[in-house]
Amino acid sequence: MRNVRVFYKKSGRMKFISHLDMNRFMSRIIKRAKLPIWHTEGFHPHPYITFALPLSLGFESEYEVMDIRLVDDDFPLEDVLSKLNETFPEYIKVFSVAEPVMKVGSIAFADFEISFNDNGVLKDGLEKFLVLDSIICSKKTKKGGIKEIDIAPMIKAKSIKCDENTTLLLTLPAGSTDNLNPELLLNAFFENYAEQYLPYSICRTMIYNTDMKEFK
Amino acid sequence: MDNKKFEELLLTVQKPGRYSGGEIGSVIKDKNKVDIRFAFCFPDTYEIGMSHLGMKILYSLFNEREDIWCERVFAPWTDFEKVMRDNDIPLFALESRDNVRDFDFVGFTLQYELSYSNVLNMLDLAGIPLKSCDRDENSPIIVAGGPCACNAEPLADFIDIFFLGEGEEVDLEVIDLYKECREKGIGRQEFLRLAAKIEGVYVPSLYTVKYNPDGTISEYVPIYDAPKTIEKRIIKDLNKSYYPKQFVVPYIEIVHDRAVQELYRGCIRGCRFCQAGFIYRPVREKNFEVNNAQAKAICDNTGYDELSLSSLSTSDYRELEPLLNDMLSWSEKDKVSLALPSLRIDNFSEELLEKISHIRKSGLTFAPEAGTQRLRDVINKNITEEEIINTCRTAFKGGYTSVKLYFMMGLPTETDEDIKGIAELGQRIVNEYYSMPERPKGKSVSVSISVSTFVPKPFTPFQFEPQITKEEILRKQAYLRSCLTTKKISLSWHDSSVSFLEGVFARGDRRLGRVIEAAVEKGCRFDGWDECFDLQKWLDAFSECGIEPAFYANRQRAFDEVNPWDMFDYGVTKKFLICQNDLAHKGITTPNCREKCAGCGANKYGEGVCFEKC
Repeated sequence: MRNVRVFYKKSGRMKFISHLDMNRFMSRIIKRAKLPIWHTEGFHPHPYITFALPLSLGFESEYEVMDIRLVDDDFPLEDVLSKLNETFPEYIKVFSVAEPVMKVGSIAFADFEISFNDNGVLKDGLEKFLVLDSIICSKKTKKGGIKEIDIAPMIKAKSIKCDENTTLLLTLPAGSTDNLNPELLLNAFFENYAEQYLPYSICRTMIYNTDMKEFK
Repeated sequence: MDNKKFEELLLTVQKPGRYSGGEIGSVIKDKNKVDIRFAFCFPDTYEIGMSHLGMKILYSLFNEREDIWCERVFAPWTDFEKVMRDNDIPLFALESRDNVRDFDFVGFTLQYELSYSNVLNMLDLAGIPLKSCDRDENSPIIVAGGPCACNAEPLADFIDIFFLGEGEEVDLEVIDLYKECREKGIGRQEFLRLAAKIEGVYVPSLYTVKYNPDGTISEYVPIYDAPKTIEKRIIKDLNKSYYPKQFVVPYIEIVHDRAVQELYRGCIRGCRFCQAGFIYRPVREKNFEVNNAQAKAICDNTGYDELSLSSLSTSDYRELEPLLNDMLSWSEKDKVSLALPSLRIDNFSEELLEKISHIRKSGLTFAPEAGTQRLRDVINKNITEEEIINTCRTAFKGGYTSVKLYFMMGLPTETDEDIKGIAELGQRIVNEYYSMPERPKGKSVSVSISVSTFVPKPFTPFQFEPQITKEEILRKQAYLRSCLTTKKISLSWHDSSVSFLEGVFARGDRRLGRVIEAAVEKGCRFDGWDECFDLQKWLDAFSECGIEPAFYANRQRAFDEVNPWDMFDYGVTKKFLICQNDLAHKGITTPNCREKCAGCGANKYGEGVCFEKC
């Protein structure tokens, strides 16, 4: 029995599939790909799959991580990659399969690329917004209440690119202890600091451990 | 369509996965390389429509043909409909996202009467003229099939072609005729006239209806050379008939999210209220080798970990045991669990129970349908109270502690005694549980009773019967509640106004078309959904059109009255239905097809149970 880490990209129509639905989707894909997957031994056996970091509905990603457990220790990793890619729809592409190096619990940060469809009009506003010392947002708590938090100190890194349209690059806390969804930041921006709402798309481009090393 | 804009809008609505497409198993073709584009519309949500086996069969069958591209279309939920209308997004097909208006065929499957408002709303969203008579050479051909097509008349103004019976053959024949007509430059009207000559095709615009002074129908008059009687179509040999090797596997969770194997069609039982038991006659089985191979292929290709064996009454399948033997040989290894819905309790062998003990257990559900033996004889539901109690006892011994019972209210000849019988049967099961020393220790029993309202349907022996009024339903519901004395029994029922509307359309005629149109204008859609159903809007629509809905639902119909479905031949003769109605009122049961032929007429197809060798 061995654990195998699968790295893949999720794009296009797949971004409309929620984390919960991805779970079910993956177990069917692995069944179809005929990987020698280990099943849990409970009353309802199901294939053993865990996702390193959930991805919000609507986000694309260039760096998704999923761990699976195989019963066959000698099953070649390159076969896992090729069998999965043969079975996935075009919007999911595995680019690496490897032995896990880091613990999933060590994930602490993620890079996000937010592309606005704005002809550059949001650039100035975003620049002013991102240098604020304090950005107060209200966030739903797990108990159903609402609490106010200051998200400005949580932003680990930020930069703005502007060609024809504006692109915002952010490094935010991500993981089981601290987490900041970029949509919270964008809602605060559009609510209080922008003249108009403009559509955008979000892509998670990398995830890191606590030492800001790429998650392997 | 502007995909970027579209996808941005999708993120503003609930469950965007309903509209995104791109599922595994969905078929993408080059639209410039196909001759026929077919939009297969299910007039309900994605989650409901994607669970429907008929759509899976026809989708795969059409797409096997190189010259046809069949795509799926579902009714957008109200939040997305608003977004679509606000942003001028017309109804689109999931695969190509192309406008449904530009397809050659737009086909609706009619599974229940309460989806009629969605049919009209979808045509409207597509920008297709609602009425058949307003369409021109640029409009798609609007076709419809499914069980409700057996009384298609309420939709007669809106549908160009109805398919009666099973669609696998007739649909393709009509598509081929269309191709031929297009090549020869034959126009829409002439095409419809030619199509009407194909068996199983009903073109409502080729008939005029004459009425009697009392509002009943006097006759249907065919225009031109349309046939006087229209025969339904059946697939004669299901072993050789097409079955998909792949399903479209949804990303989001749907109602029936599992692989399905259709074991056979039809039902030998002849319960007198059940439309499916009559319109799908005769029973035709697939042999177990075919079923096993097809089921295995579907599981392999979809990756589903659950397989449902589907039919109207699974324990009546003669080769169930060899089938389960073969299936268990691979399903356990592949971690596929089997589900057997629709088991009857009277022919449930010990061996079968043994097999099923390997199979994941769902709840224990019975459908006695009526509370007393007298009324069960009237409806020809040939199960006895003893059988119910015995099965419950076995189940309790096996560790079950909850039982679900389905009943109907408002059945012909029903008295308060029969209503009380529902409560008494529930009580007997509770008592049985507590009388058993070997009952599960320390656990309480729970019996849930679910009561729906009986709706008389065409092509059943009860097609002549009045549906009980809303007031009477409410009174009986209150009475039933007063008969219950224990908290071990829980009671639930269907909304009586929904059943009333269903009853109107089930036996309605084409004068109801105006009502549907008016109701959709008032905003009616998703009438099968509690959160959308609005009886008042429907009642307003009826009164604006000067139509009395009780005329259709609550009136006793004479045997010699001309019904809107009388010109359709579904195999069972009207004479047989009258005879069965008579037996019902006398409380005399009819043996099932395998015990003794009742002479319904379906043996004219020369196939199936009527010719089985014992």
